[in-house]
Amino acid sequence: MTTGHRVPLGGAGARPRDEHELRAPIIIGIDVGGTFTDVALLDAAGHVRMAKAATTPADPTNGVLAALESGASGLGIDLVELLRRTRRITHGSTIATNALLTRTGPVLGLVTTRGFEDTPAIMRAIGRVDGLSEEEVRHPASLTKPVPLVARTRTEGVFERIDVRGTVVVPLRDGDVVRALERLIETEGVGALAVCLLNAWANPVHEERIAALVDERYGARVYVSYGHRLARVAGEYARTNTALVDAFVGPRVQRYLRGLEDELRRRGFVGDVLAMQGNGGVASAGQCSPVATLQSGPAGGMLAAAHIAKTLGHDRVLTADMGGTSFDVGLCIEGGWSYADEPVFDRFRVQQPIIEVDSIGAGGGTIARYEEATARLVVGPRSAGADPGPACYGAGGDEPTVTDANVVLGVIDPRYFLGGARALDATLAHRAVERVARPLGLDATRGADGIRRIIEGKMADLIRRQVIRSGHLPETFVLYAFGGASGMHAAAFARELGIPRVYVFPTSAVFSAFGIALADVRHTRLRTVEHVLPVPPRLLNAPLDELGAELLEIMDREGFARTDARLRRYASLRYLRQTQAVELELPEAPLDAEAIATLSRLFAQRYHALYGTGAGDPDALVEVSALRVDAVGPVPKPALAAAELDGEAPPEPKAWRSVHLDGRPSQTPIYEWSGLRAGQRVGGPAVVESAFTTVVVPAGMSALVDRFGNLAIDAKGSAS
Amino acid sequence: MSVIDPVRYEILRHRLWVIGEEGRAALQRVSASPIVVQGGECMQSFYDASGRMVLACSGHLRFAAATSDAIKLLIREFGSSPGFHEGDQIFNNDPYVAGSHTYDQMVVMPIFAERRLIGWTASSSHTADTGGLLRGTATEIYHEGLRVRALKVVERGQFRDDVCKTIVEQCRDPYYVELDLRSRVAANNVSGARVLRLVEQFGLEFVEAAMRKMIEDSERLARAKLRELPDGTWRSRTYATAMRSARPFQVRCTMTKARDEVSFDFAGTSPQQDDDQNSTLPSTLAHVALALTNMLFWDVPWSDGKMAPVRVSVPEGTFLNCRFPAACGGAPRVGQILVSAVTECVAKMLYAAGRLEEVNAGWQGLWYQGGPGYFYGGTNANGLPVAQGLYDIHGGGFGATPLRDGVDTGGHANIPAGGISDVERIELSYPFLYFARNHNPDGAGYGRHRGGAGSHRLYMVYGSSDLTVDFRPYGGIPNGGFGLFGGYPCGTGGMRAILATDPVALARRLAEGRYPTSGREAVEGGWATVHVPEAGRPRVALPERWLVSDFVQSGGGFGDPLEREPETVARDVASGFFTRDAAERFFGVRLDRDGAADLAATDALRDETRARRRRDARASADAPATLPPGDPLATPHHSLEIVRASAGARWRCRRCGADLGDAAASYKRGALRAIRPLGQVSDAPLPAGDFIGELHEYYCPGCVALLQVDVFCPTLGDDAMLHDIALAMVARAPQPA
Repeated sequence: MTTGHRVPLGGAGARPRDEHELRAPIIIGIDVGGTFTDVALLDAAGHVRMAKAATTPADPTNGVLAALESGASGLGIDLVELLRRTRRITHGSTIATNALLTRTGPVLGLVTTRGFEDTPAIMRAIGRVDGLSEEEVRHPASLTKPVPLVARTRTEGVFERIDVRGTVVVPLRDGDVVRALERLIETEGVGALAVCLLNAWANPVHEERIAALVDERYGARVYVSYGHRLARVAGEYARTNTALVDAFVGPRVQRYLRGLEDELRRRGFVGDVLAMQGNGGVASAGQCSPVATLQSGPAGGMLAAAHIAKTLGHDRVLTADMGGTSFDVGLCIEGGWSYADEPVFDRFRVQQPIIEVDSIGAGGGTIARYEEATARLVVGPRSAGADPGPACYGAGGDEPTVTDANVVLGVIDPRYFLGGARALDATLAHRAVERVARPLGLDATRGADGIRRIIEGKMADLIRRQVIRSGHLPETFVLYAFGGASGMHAAAFARELGIPRVYVFPTSAVFSAFGIALADVRHTRLRTVEHVLPVPPRLLNAPLDELGAELLEIMDREGFARTDARLRRYASLRYLRQTQAVELELPEAPLDAEAIATLSRLFAQRYHALYGTGAGDPDALVEVSALRVDAVGPVPKPALAAAELDGEAPPEPKAWRSVHLDGRPSQTPIYEWSGLRAGQRVGGPAVVESAFTTVVVPAGMSALVDRFGNLAIDAKGSAS
Repeated sequence: MSVIDPVRYEILRHRLWVIGEEGRAALQRVSASPIVVQGGECMQSFYDASGRMVLACSGHLRFAAATSDAIKLLIREFGSSPGFHEGDQIFNNDPYVAGSHTYDQMVVMPIFAERRLIGWTASSSHTADTGGLLRGTATEIYHEGLRVRALKVVERGQFRDDVCKTIVEQCRDPYYVELDLRSRVAANNVSGARVLRLVEQFGLEFVEAAMRKMIEDSERLARAKLRELPDGTWRSRTYATAMRSARPFQVRCTMTKARDEVSFDFAGTSPQQDDDQNSTLPSTLAHVALALTNMLFWDVPWSDGKMAPVRVSVPEGTFLNCRFPAACGGAPRVGQILVSAVTECVAKMLYAAGRLEEVNAGWQGLWYQGGPGYFYGGTNANGLPVAQGLYDIHGGGFGATPLRDGVDTGGHANIPAGGISDVERIELSYPFLYFARNHNPDGAGYGRHRGGAGSHRLYMVYGSSDLTVDFRPYGGIPNGGFGLFGGYPCGTGGMRAILATDPVALARRLAEGRYPTSGREAVEGGWATVHVPEAGRPRVALPERWLVSDFVQSGGGFGDPLEREPETVARDVASGFFTRDAAERFFGVRLDRDGAADLAATDALRDETRARRRRDARASADAPATLPPGDPLATPHHSLEIVRASAGARWRCRRCGADLGDAAASYKRGALRAIRPLGQVSDAPLPAGDFIGELHEYYCPGCVALLQVDVFCPTLGDDAMLHDIALAMVARAPQPA
């Protein structure tokens, strides 16, 4: 798919763009993960090339350059030539996440409203369990809160109070602010500062006054994050965290992005360098707040899914990303996604529009054990993680994991794990599984089969719960499976969930990088409001216009003319006194009384669709609780290259081996993915392998290779 | 033990759990109640055909515990008339049957397969309104509104509008009560249908065998856990104060653990109250189960098997087993006092077992009760009714442990994953403007490890002309907390009071850019004066621009506060957890002008404090007898161990070797004791009324380390020197009864 108009991105008129685009047809997506830095290269014909390099935590730029070099050599050119041919590099990273996880950042100070200095430490009490799994919260006597990002002794309260309508009840005094700044910046020497005052979302006048005093006295000497600039949303705990996290990761993220851009420019790159954000869009480094880059990896996965869903015509997609230690589930409905309400990072909830992807904690590293008192085979929730990892890694782990079970069953070829990059020890896997199986009277194979069935049952349950919580039913979805471990289990849990079709992708190993390459420019603004319907239209139009104007100004700085940037506007509605709201898209034109009446009606319909008839009350009052405006600047991207169908000949197995599936061993054909041609059908039981992943096609199912090289597994028509 | 396919069993039990989660999601989506939707006060659970609980899902722990009793009663009383049929759902909210108060409501549904009853599912949640008198005024259960023993709200699959309307029309807010009722029906519909699918998939025989095994598994795990703990008897006593007078009452708990069983005896507990501070037997049993789930059986899946090795005995006519028709709206609060008493015994048992990471001091400590509560009435600036409750108590401080301080504003025992609201969210719907919500200085229990601090708040009435709040007389005795091994049950700080202002003067000072940030500041800075309404008024008006100050419960301390590092105390003061005054009086720490610990002055002050302890305890000048070092038989106390001596097993100080006497008796007999009237311990008077009772501090006769801090109320006439730790290994042969 190619967008109709050419978009001057990143400084209109600075360069002869069209010419440049012709000369530089490649777009690159980079995803700097914890272990690997992935690169996806898209050329004008829609071919995708992948490359990987080890992430270099000390300076991730090195890993990025190495991955780009590897990508260049795949094309038979050098890095400088690749950069010369590249129009755009979009970059997602875990820099911010890692800085937070490892608590590597500047000493922070906080200026807040006097009397509320403990907000970051009180954490609404819920901070004790935020970011922990259900299993972890079961023993309340052993749980503690994380250490707040700012010390109480570096928090300064200033007298000021603004009410929820924005009225100043207690004015801010400059002298108080100056004293607070002096103490934090000069006496305490803080490295970065957060400013978050109560109800600044309703009226930012006091935070803006503090900003003026900071600028006047300290200029750019100190990095400062202001709560209202990051989120105009009620809820001081998460907003304060947002400002604190931004201040904590900000200097590092900015330094890194600037450094990377410098390195690329030194090698002659003249195109755009863009940062991937958790909202599913990109922004130029200058317009992107560091806290917005959190969760850019999972956002990339969602974008890739959305792009493929559009190409394949799927309007309800469930994404399942299963790696070694995690299992993330997301929903992509009609090409869109929802944003989490106060998403949690590490242990801190923040207010940012972040694509909702839920981690349900199961993976290849999930551990099985025998519980003696009850004679149970318990699988999970503990994980062996990456270190020591599964027993078959031979790195000291002696507890059996799901990966070990797959080795025992012959699903994983121990000599072809990650394309042979990591040799696995099948004997260790056997021994570990046997230890938990024997007390139950099972041999290693039956024990491994049990572990596999139990984890697949649990995954099906947890996916179902996520989907149901969002108000949907799993059987109406297509499943997209990506991440190293999904392909081995997806067909089985799809069958349990009643999902008819599963897709596994050749780009699966760099799925996020692929999605990041495709991202449009996107900025999002949220605003808390409080209006009972019917509301005079101007009370909604005014804030919507204000948000829209703010966004268009940003898009202008991104190089988008007003006509090229698209605004999408949403309102959250709920019955009065309810706590959960339903978001509806608003028409493009300003709202009038009729549009507002329509809104009321649409809300009732949507509410009933979500919660069932009889749940709502036609006489109850409805209120608007929040507004959101997205500005989207589409960037050109190629249509994915499609091969001609060539499926007449049956596919040729590269080998046969004994694989234990569905309760019995059988000689099973093994296919090399890259050897399969579009239109060919693989009948189960079968295993399809690539250097990055393994896909199981169970007996009674079959997988079709589509024109894009994807495996489409038909999970219907077989009994469980 | 049932022998069934272990793999299918694992798949089935996880699926049953997620079915309950699905039910809960259905309930939360339909319910309008914030306490249900955000606070998580709901539960979905499953029972076998006879009403034994098979599994309770995550959610509000209190609800699941007693539902099996409700189902058993339904079967007994109504099993033949009208009988239960496929598609029936039965509403119940009678706290004399199940639940804690009439606000705890459930809908139970029999599940039929192959044309016979195979089990039950139940959906329970908290509803904010039951009609009746407003909170705080009931003296019999008839005043507490709607009370239904059993009504089929769905009959053979048909929702009965007549029954529904009859129920909800008893309430002030029928729309919301109906939504809550319908949400429970929706949850059961979802769960019931999914259980039938489970039966289809696994076969009825297998499902029934698995349900049996789930109950057996829990019992085995619970018994295995109990076997690992030492045998013995532990005793505790906690206090609460009444609604309509400052009169205290007490919970007495005796826990005896032998082999793989444990029993709780509440003999000595005060008689039932003439207000709503009572707990029915089902509520008491639910709270015992809750305390054990949090502290002891947290890793045991929750079925009735978990409570099989537990015996509970509660004398009838006490406030923990009130006689019909006693009012019981305050049962959740009473339950907290009871949970505290149970938890203290369990914590000391876990300490004796050496399981230090599982030991917590009390979570429910309040220096005093009384003054304005948090059940509001009236309308806000938009003319809408103000929601009744405001639950900052869901962010109380947790107890200190042998290894660390307690968690500040950690949560609430009933709702492990709950939380409190943002001030901005509160101001959006309540007629308040806050001037402070911070950690409560001097609220946390003093100790070598301090308790977790609760919060305090100060707010101004802002935008309501008819606001009221519940109000109770000041009862000046620590409610519900306990410290461990020398830690205090709670701190002495916090002010709960209505503060009258002069609106004109207040407006002038606000416009100058200043406001008070605590109740004390408001009074001392001349912003306001304490307003004490005339006696006997259970609800009082809160005029516009008046202030309200209050605080929530905090955690108990662990160990002698004189052992806390001076630098740590200095940091506590800098962070607002303690005042300088408390640092000196309780920790013996002096700070210099910049707030750093003055080590020399601290040494001197601590010596002086120890000398004062000796004086106050009237210690003799002679050095106490000591025991030779040697391997202890047991270490059931942070500062004391039991050693074998020529005279038999003795208590011995782990620091100085002092002999505290026969280990079959209480170490308190060999300790020094100082009695401190509560009014002298506190640095601030109550807003009105007097402190009641004393702190009894027990010290080592040798090194004067603080061993135990007991709250004691002499007017209730109980045994002052509670024999709190009695290990079976050193017990003498029991006297014939």
